[in-house]
Order: sequence, then structure tokens, then C-alpha cells
Amino acid sequence: MLRITGGKVYAPANGIDGVVKDLFIDDSGRFAASAEGCRTIDAAGMIVFPGGVDVHTHVAGGAINFARAMTPEDHRRTQAFMRTKTRRSGLGGMAPTTFATGYLYAGMGFTTLNEAAVPVLSARHTHEELADIPIVDKSSLTLMANNEIMLDQLQKGEYERAKQVVAWYLWAAKSYGIKAVNPGGVAAWKYGKDAKQLTTPVEGYGNLTPGTIVTQLAQICDDLGLPHPMHLHCNNLGAPGNITTTLDTLQHLEGRRAHIAHSQYHAYGGDGWDTMCSETAQLAEYFNTHPGITTDAGAVVFGDTVTITADGPWQHLLYKLTGRKWGNLDVENETGCGIVPYTYRPSNLVNAVQWAAGLELLLLIKSPWQVFLSTDHPNGGCFWRYPEIIELLMRADVRKEQLQRLPDKIKGRITLPEIDREYTLLEIATAMSAGPARALGLTQKGNLSVGSDADLVLYHEDDNIAQMFSHPRYVIKGGEIVLEDGEIREAPQGREFLVRPAYDPGTDEFIRPLFEDCYTMSFENYPVEIERIEHPVVRDCHKVQ
Amino acid sequence: MKQRADFIVYWGGNPAECHPRHFTKYTIMQKSKFLPRGRKDRTMVLVDIRETKSVKAADIFLQVRPGKDFELITILRALVKGQYVADEAIAETGLTRETLDDLVHRMKTCKFGCFFFGMGLSMTRGKHMNSAALLTLAAEMNAFTKFVAMPMRGHGNVTGADVIMRWQTGFPFGISFNRGYPRYNPGEFSTVDLLVRGDCDAAFIIGADPGATMPQPAIDHLKRIPTIVLDPHITHTSKLARVHITTAPQGIAAPGTAYRMDELPMPLKPALKSPYPTDEEVVRRINEAIAQKPFWLPEGSQPQLLTTIG
Repeated sequence: MLRITGGKVYAPANGIDGVVKDLFIDDSGRFAASAEGCRTIDAAGMIVFPGGVDVHTHVAGGAINFARAMTPEDHRRTQAFMRTKTRRSGLGGMAPTTFATGYLYAGMGFTTLNEAAVPVLSARHTHEELADIPIVDKSSLTLMANNEIMLDQLQKGEYERAKQVVAWYLWAAKSYGIKAVNPGGVAAWKYGKDAKQLTTPVEGYGNLTPGTIVTQLAQICDDLGLPHPMHLHCNNLGAPGNITTTLDTLQHLEGRRAHIAHSQYHAYGGDGWDTMCSETAQLAEYFNTHPGITTDAGAVVFGDTVTITADGPWQHLLYKLTGRKWGNLDVENETGCGIVPYTYRPSNLVNAVQWAAGLELLLLIKSPWQVFLSTDHPNGGCFWRYPEIIELLMRADVRKEQLQRLPDKIKGRITLPEIDREYTLLEIATAMSAGPARALGLTQKGNLSVGSDADLVLYHEDDNIAQMFSHPRYVIKGGEIVLEDGEIREAPQGREFLVRPAYDPGTDEFIRPLFEDCYTMSFENYPVEIERIEHPVVRDCHKVQ
Repeated sequence: MKQRADFIVYWGGNPAECHPRHFTKYTIMQKSKFLPRGRKDRTMVLVDIRETKSVKAADIFLQVRPGKDFELITILRALVKGQYVADEAIAETGLTRETLDDLVHRMKTCKFGCFFFGMGLSMTRGKHMNSAALLTLAAEMNAFTKFVAMPMRGHGNVTGADVIMRWQTGFPFGISFNRGYPRYNPGEFSTVDLLVRGDCDAAFIIGADPGATMPQPAIDHLKRIPTIVLDPHITHTSKLARVHITTAPQGIAAPGTAYRMDELPMPLKPALKSPYPTDEEVVRRINEAIAQKPFWLPEGSQPQLLTTIG
């Protein structure tokens, strides 16, 4: 049991905006109405937030692990985590090791994260890595939009079959929801092609277009009653002029739920690298008039990082542009992935536009319940740099200062200099915790209601915002004080959220011959056994009528 | 691979004898939606310094002169880009210009190409430079068509060890923890180097037999220090060890996970029962016993946490 008194509480989901309020935590690690005779934390002079929730990050699995192997030069210069009695050793940096990932997230006040891209084939591996990320609770999303067995069903117009197949895969992967990456494009990449337009048929799939894949998959997520809507990485990522593709996608999706991942990478105008500009105003306008749809920023911070995405064709282009290392993985019939180390520079016009576009989206989309803090870690920058972004959102003068670093040619390409909005603490708490928790359908997270998970972060109020958000005074996870004064005190094992959608029991026998035809492992060995998940929290999903 | 690869090159490897299921399960013998005629729709090239049993399975066999793999790859990279290559340079590799022109033409016109490279490339003259050159060639081929490359690995679950070391420490092998955090330097922290220099004062060996493969000075050091071996069998290493704990063989009598060489984890389901404990159980019990002991370093003697540099 624990009592926190005297702190100024910001809990958007509970409508609490900077009110001094006592909080109580019971023995099961949840918020309670009262608690007597227990440890009390005097939080006078501190601000209290619900624990952070990262809606889109890449921290575990084959791709990030390949990135770790590709960047030993970064490991050498980065923060080292020494082994202590409570903490295992590890390395921070662009692609932190698993234990360090848990310490870094917790060290920043984040207590829940969503690994956004898992191929079913490497789900077993991903769960093993997630089990090695201490403290935080986790969920993962399964890559579906380029799965060949599912695409074949859509090509034949067998929507009902496709839905059963998706539900079967979700349970096989023991995951929490569906991720769609460059629908059709990754399948086409197996032959070195891409899918850039929503109405052009996908190479090798007759009349099937990315537009059809995207709408049907979103419908499947809705029909299966998944807590999180389809999590979409749109086609044509990163290319100048891709705003038309993005808006076209959003129009296709109308009437269905969706979460648009890292929209910064999908909001460009112009027709080449020389003329590239930010079109965030158009995209933000769409979100402002469609309150049912959510997104995360995928903001860029200047400096070194490593980009990893299931978008194989894009990564090949990036490799050709930069001439740096390139790793490519094709995951049998399911998806693929590319890895390229990258440095975002303020002097580079394209990077400058990207940096501005991420902030513009966060500032131009009016409701923080719709746009969330993310860097698409590690693509736009590392997650442990979130406090820098928070500072830029809360301080227009700091933004003005940073704008001075950009090249003169940036004028007219971005709208950031004209934006005066400054986030309030309540809005920050929404964008980093309450909003993403709601979008993920994690009702026990991101709020301080009695019965919800007691995940909290306490900051010493400080004018230096970046300093304040990167050095919490206390972090409490499930009622346990995990961090105090910048030191990890306890590193408990977190839980993993997953869903069990209802599907026709005949689906096994339907998939078996198709599976045996194209996969290289045996059908029985493919689904991840539930015993392999550490501390699973299973949520049954039923058909929505 | 199984579905799409219509052009397959094995370089410095002998899959017919070393990876006997590779042809039938993954590559040349498989039929698929995209390659309905199976073997007839695929071309297989073998590059090696001598004729092995794999030659019989190949459409084209290129016998490269020993130690000239790097030169051959570099020539191919030039030819692919249409750059000038001198006749003498080609002659040095033991192959002809016609053969190489034909190879380059096939590489460029295939729909999905793949290089598999074995220790005949990665462990001979040039070593990691050879692997790097071949990986670069594969990357550059993507300007023309889809091309990938993958090492042919051996020695049990070596990929699994790689994968786990990477997620826990950031590095695949050659890791030192002696400063309290992982550092990487193959050639300095690799097992063989530590043993030859005599840097370690104890050895704990699981699922390997260094006594059979390492140089004599390394073996001598293993004999000098307390060496503990976990192995289902009696091996060269177990004979020289102070302690040999017999464990159940993985995949036969012990469950677990093995990573395939494309880094996909496969669950192992035991077919037999064993009276011996699993490796995992032994390590867990040793860990528990160590946890009972007081922390062995005096307070304050440990190095302090490093802060971010630069």
C-alpha cells in the first residue's frame, strides 16, 4: 500500500487538471479510494502524471536485433548500464539492449509500450525479447497487410475467409492487434517492386489494390472487435508529394476505425527532394474534422539513429541515397524489413522539413486525444529523447531558437514559424499517456480511477522542461516504487497484453494445406504456445454485430 | 527463397554433405506458386575451389583458384556495373571472361537471386573481407533485380546464441563483462584469445567442444584452470575438465528453442525422456546457489555508472 500526498495531479482521463490531490494504492497495485497506515510519499512541489504509454515503438524482435548487430560503433560511445544488485547490465544508444530499454523507459516515466511490428514467424523471438524488457507492461502488433495467404483470400473476394485467417494469425502470434505496413508494397518488394498508389493493382495479385487491402483490413479489425483499431503505416512513406496518397488512404478508411502511425513521414508536398515541403496543415485539417481517428507524430530529432521498418523498398531507396550500411530481411510469405543507420542533420533541407513537420502535426492537430508523442523509435530518433520534444511543444521560444539552425531555403516550406501554440501540462499528459492508452483500448492504463493500474510518474516542478521530464523524482509501476532519485530501485517483470479473437474452428484445417505449400516450418510448430508468454493478460474479443 | 528464388549461388560451401536438407527443404527442389516447375525453374551455381558432392546438383560449377574469392567478387562487382576489367585479373581467378559475362547476365536477368556463403569463403584468406565483399555485391545487385545473401552456418544452435547475446548485450560474441557492462572486441575478448593469453581463471562450457578444435595453448590453459562442462556426451573438453555434468540432449530429451540460420526460432519438442537434468535446469540451480552467497565485491569497489559521452 502507498499514499501520495500534496502533489499537483494531471489526469486528463479523470478531468483533473493540476489539482492538489491525495492518491491511494492498494496491495494489488491498483488505485484505491483510501489507504491507511502505509508508506506516504510527500509529493509537495511535485507534479503527478499517469505513467507514460508509448503507442508506437520498435524495441524487440528480429529487426531491432539485426539493427543492434549492425551498429557496434554506436554501442561503444553510448550510455553503459553497469550491473548492480537490482539491475542487469546493458547498453543504451540508438538500439538499446532489452534490459536497458526497460530502465530507459521507466527512467523517463513510461510504464507501458506497444511494439508496433511483429511478423508471426518471429513472434516467438519477439515475446522472448519482450520478456527480457523489465518493469514496463507490453503489447505487440502483428504485421498482416502483406501476408500472402490473407492477400490470396482478398484477391478472391473472400472477405469472410480473410477475416477468419486474420483472427487465426493473431492468436497464433499471441499479439494485441493488427499492423498494416505499406499494404501490398512489401509483397511486391519480394520481386523488387513497390506499391505507391492506392488504385494500382499489387504486383502478382491480379486486380487487388492497396486501397482494397487497407479498407478490408480495417473492417476486419472492427468486425473482430479488437480493442485497438488497425494500426496503419500508409503506402508511399517518406516520398515528396506523398500527402495525396495519405489523404486518399484516409478517405478510403472513412467509416472505419484506424490509427495512422508516424504521420510525419506521410505529410510531404513537392515533386522531388529539391521541392519537398511540409503539407501538415492539410493532414491536420483532416484529423481536426474527423475526431474518431488517431495518429502518432513520428517526430524527428536531429542526430544519429538507425532506421528500421517493414517497408523494405523504402529502405533500399534510403540505402541508395545515403550509401550507408543496409540490412534487408524478407520474412518468408509474411513481410520483410530493412535497416539503415541514419543521421538527421539540421543543415539538410529534407531533414529540416521532417523535423518541422513532426512538431507541426503535434501542434496543428487541436486535440491531444488524437495525436500522440512518438518518434517511431528508432526511426525518427530514440525514445529516450522524448523530453526534448516535450520541451519544444511547451515552449514556442525554444522552437524559435531551434528554427535559427535550419537553412534559409526552409522559408515557405514549413508552417512551424507561424505557430504560437504551447502545450499545457494537461495536454502533455494526454499526448504521452491518457490518449495512447485510450487509442490502444487499454482501459486500466493512462488514468487514475479506482481499480486502474497504479502507474505514476512524479516530477519536481522545474522551469527547465527537458530536464524535468528526463529526470522524474519517482516512478511507480503497479504500486511499486521502481525509480527514486534517478536510480532504479526495483525491476519487476511486466505483463503482456494479448487478445483472443473468436474464429471458426475449421480455420486450422483451411490454413494447413496453404501453409504447408508455402512455409518452411511445420504447421504444428508455428503458433506461439501461450506458456511461452510471461505474465500474459488475455482479452477475449467477440464478433461485433 | 522457397517461393521465389530462381537463381541460387552457393559459394564456398558443400550443402550436399554439410546441410543435406537445404536443397530439398528450402531451395532448388521446391515447387511454388511462382516457380511451378520447381528445379526446372531454378538455376543453381556452385563456386568452390574443388569439386565436391554438391557439384552434381549444380547447373554451373565455377572452380575458383584457392584464395582468389575476394578478387573474383570484386571483378563481378565491376562487371555488373559495366566497368573495365583486365584479362590478367580474370585469368588470376582461374575462370574465363565468357563464364563471368554469362554469370553476370544471369544474375541481372533473374527475378530473385540469392547467395549462400559458407566457411570456404568466410574462413579462408580474406576472411570477413570476403563476406563483406559478397554482401556488398548482393546489395549492389538490387539496382537491377531482387538479390539477397545469407551465411550457411553450422555447429548446432550457434545462431540462437548470437541472437540472444545481441538482445541482452548488443553484441553477438567476443563480449567482456569485466567492467560491469558489455564490451565487444573480437580478437581480444573472443574465447580463443582469452584462453591463449591465459586471461581467465575459470571456464564454463555449454554445448561446445573447444578441446577438439582450439589451438594447443588454449587447450593447455583449459587444463590448468577449473573447467566445468555441461554436455550429454563425453568429449575432448569433458575429458580435460575438472567437472563434467551430464545433461539431457537438446531436442531429443530436453525441450527448448533453436534458431534456424535465418534467425527464426523453432521450438524443440523432446521425443525421449532422460534421467539427466537439462542445461537450463543446471544453470538455474547454479545461479540460485550463487544468489545465496553474499555479494562478492566489497561495497564501493565497483566502477561507477558512466554518463553519456558527447
